[in-house]
Amino acid sequence: MSSQISTADQSAALSGKYLTFFLGSEEYGIAILKVREIIGIVPVTPVPGTPSFMQGVINLRGKIIPVIDLRAKFGMPTQAATRETCIIVVRRLDLELGIVVDAVSEVRNVAAAETDAMLDLGGEISAEYFLGISKADGKVRLLLDIDRILSTEDVIELSRR
Amino acid sequence: MNKQATPQKLDLGEIAARLMQASADEIEALTELRDALGQCADESGSTAAPSVKKLVTAAKAKLDGLLSGEAGDAEQALAAAIRLTCLATSPEAVPSPAVGEPELDWSEEAAMLEAASVSAPSLRPGKPTLLPADPDLDLIGEFMTEANEHVVNAEAALLTLEERPDDAAAVNTVFRAFHTVKGVSSMLGMTALAELAHHAESLLARIRDGEIQCTGVYANLCLRGIDLLKETLAAVSAQLKGQDAKLPTGYAELVRELQNPDAAAQQAALPAPPAFAATAPVAAAAPVAVAAPVAVAAAVPALTPTPTAAVAAAPVSAPAPAAAPAPAVARPAADAAAGGDESSVRVRTDRLDRLIDMVGELVIAHSMLAADPRTEVSRDPELSRKVGHAGKIVRELQDMSMSLRMVPLRPTFQKLTRIVRDVAKKSDKLIQFVSTGDDTEIDRNMVDVIAEPLIHMVRNAADHGIESTAARIAAGKSPTGTVRLAAYHSGGSVVIDLSDDGGGLDRDRILAKATQKGLVDANKSLSDNEIYQLIFLPGFSTTENVTDISGRGVGMDVVRRNIEQLKGRIEITSERGKGTVFSIRLPLTLAITDGMIVRVGSERYIIPTVNIAMNFRPEPSQVSTVVGRGEVILLRGELIPLFRLHQLFKVDGAVTETTRGLVVVLRDGVGSCGLLVDELLGQQQVVAKSLGAGIGKVPAVSGGAILGDGRVGLILDPGSLVALAKESRTGRPQPEAARPSISPQPQTMVQA
Repeated sequence: MSSQISTADQSAALSGKYLTFFLGSEEYGIAILKVREIIGIVPVTPVPGTPSFMQGVINLRGKIIPVIDLRAKFGMPTQAATRETCIIVVRRLDLELGIVVDAVSEVRNVAAAETDAMLDLGGEISAEYFLGISKADGKVRLLLDIDRILSTEDVIELSRR
Repeated sequence: MNKQATPQKLDLGEIAARLMQASADEIEALTELRDALGQCADESGSTAAPSVKKLVTAAKAKLDGLLSGEAGDAEQALAAAIRLTCLATSPEAVPSPAVGEPELDWSEEAAMLEAASVSAPSLRPGKPTLLPADPDLDLIGEFMTEANEHVVNAEAALLTLEERPDDAAAVNTVFRAFHTVKGVSSMLGMTALAELAHHAESLLARIRDGEIQCTGVYANLCLRGIDLLKETLAAVSAQLKGQDAKLPTGYAELVRELQNPDAAAQQAALPAPPAFAATAPVAAAAPVAVAAPVAVAAAVPALTPTPTAAVAAAPVSAPAPAAAPAPAVARPAADAAAGGDESSVRVRTDRLDRLIDMVGELVIAHSMLAADPRTEVSRDPELSRKVGHAGKIVRELQDMSMSLRMVPLRPTFQKLTRIVRDVAKKSDKLIQFVSTGDDTEIDRNMVDVIAEPLIHMVRNAADHGIESTAARIAAGKSPTGTVRLAAYHSGGSVVIDLSDDGGGLDRDRILAKATQKGLVDANKSLSDNEIYQLIFLPGFSTTENVTDISGRGVGMDVVRRNIEQLKGRIEITSERGKGTVFSIRLPLTLAITDGMIVRVGSERYIIPTVNIAMNFRPEPSQVSTVVGRGEVILLRGELIPLFRLHQLFKVDGAVTETTRGLVVVLRDGVGSCGLLVDELLGQQQVVAKSLGAGIGKVPAVSGGAILGDGRVGLILDPGSLVALAKESRTGRPQPEAARPSISPQPQTMVQA
């Protein structure tokens, strides 16, 4: 509110195509350009000595990639996998990573006019993981900053190899 | 400043930039730039170096010629003007005329530049540069790879030439190397490389045309040329990486020598005129060179120096008994020359790895299909025939794709030839280097890791293993020592044997040294083999006099570490007075690990078989606890610590009673320990893979592998597993009692 121009700029940067998915009843979006593919849930091998949001590793056609439990990352209660549970494979530079989500919804075009900057909700809600909020059709969709999720300190710490 | 003809004053850099953008017919723009140059020339008279003024004036003259239509080719004149201006912008690249040196004539330079723009190899005077100001990184990268290959080939060929100076194929290989480097580097503006290669090429051209023989001084000059080329290439890649690299030391000196090789030859071979060097090559060579005919069958002439043309022309025919087993160096070079015709494609390794991954997947997918009950139950002969046929193809494909990563050991061995030669020369010994099986292939990724220890060991063998010539004669041995390197396949591994016929390891001296350094208990009786193993301890060195070649007490421990890193082993056999054999056994490829699959709860882990000493089900009496925390196991009178894998990895539902589980005894370089698992599921070769960049370094896990059912199994790293276990034991008491109350997945800390 205080700085109208920069908010408008931010919103413009947010416009584009997003893959939306559910965690519980909440809907989230990932910029489609970051998504490599979506696969059904496969057996995950837990890896000892990693943070608990790091669910383990999977075999992606012969390549081993780590998988993050987004619920655990956001501090939401864990849930057993259902038929709808999916792994969204995202890529950032040479880093490939799976994200476990409850269900994939659709690919939407998010217009700049329909977005807001992330609100400071205070408390334990980690606003840093989000680019902004889409409010199209009167529904709230949180736009995920995937780079941020992959590069938050804990992951950086881990990828120092 | 006197007249404001140009709207604003331009500096040389801007002028150069504008000149580059201008074309030869833009008279107006060029006139303006010419005036700007004139202005610069006027001003620089007082401030800048005189050479700058000359360059600027020459550039202006070029433009004058162009504008007045006097210059024959306008484009060329413009190009020359651009280069002159560029040179002027970096005066430090221009040698300031030193005292006593004649001043360079810059109008000559301009003429030369014109010539250079026509014929590719630009040999402009001035300081040669490693990289041009605006390097084409893609092209240079490709060129570097190519140049390095040429250097390797040329080096091998030169060593052949030492033996057979009239080997035309080898001369051509060396010539081609310099020629290619010259051509491409001058095209890319890497003048330092171009100049060096140019002069070396001229020398080689004379050798090729039979004018001179590649012996003695000329051969040394060629080898030094290759060395310098290597160093210069290294400097270029350093600069490409953004480091501050300089021309290698001795660059100017060697280039001068290459320009006038006859002077050096004359000096060394007085009174024999160099043109007739062919008639007396051994005499022409400096005495040092004669003393070290590595792998040269002509070792005998050194004892009976009869530098006749006959011996020189056919050194191979000289009676050298020890040279009989294999014409060591000659063959690889000849092969390399022949192999150069085979067409090949360069492929990026990550693509190759991906292909191998996919083939691995295909194998798994196929075995799942073959094992599917519907395939088996149907008992349809037609179907099972088809599945079987597909299986054959898949297996062949797998073998094929694994072989793509394999490269022969030949280049590695060739480097060693050179090392033996140098050591022999330095220490004034006669050493013959024989290598066999250099076409044995190992995984590309292992080559670099194994090269380092091999260099070290070969150097050791030549320097310490082989006795001095006098000592050898006194011991009644042939004066020429032999260092032999043999590579071969044996039972799914590659074995590299390094043997020498020197004095052998001195058991008593090793023991005395180890005792003196406190590395071993003096009262303990040790077997020969145990004593030999002592040389692998860090900080161990028995040699009395440290030479500049080896013997600083760093080394053998690194050798062992490198070999163990490759999951290999090294063994020593030695006989006093007869020699020593180091036997290195390596897996064929790093990608495949021979693993034991163990189960803990519902998880499966892979333990590299090479780390497993044994496994057994312990009797209750064998296990005891220490101060209520640590557990030890008594095994054949020896106490070893026992760790529970389910505790370390916090796996639920595992066997907790030691007597119902199984203890796997792990051994690594330091010691052994027991690891409690539920059961063994079997042995399997697995393809080791990284767990992915995002997960980072995981303690006690070296990677993952895709198991037969398509799931990922973690490969344990015994070394860090033990470290982890010890840490967990010392860090805090094992929370055995408290553990069940903690939920299996302790919730994350999402603290905003």
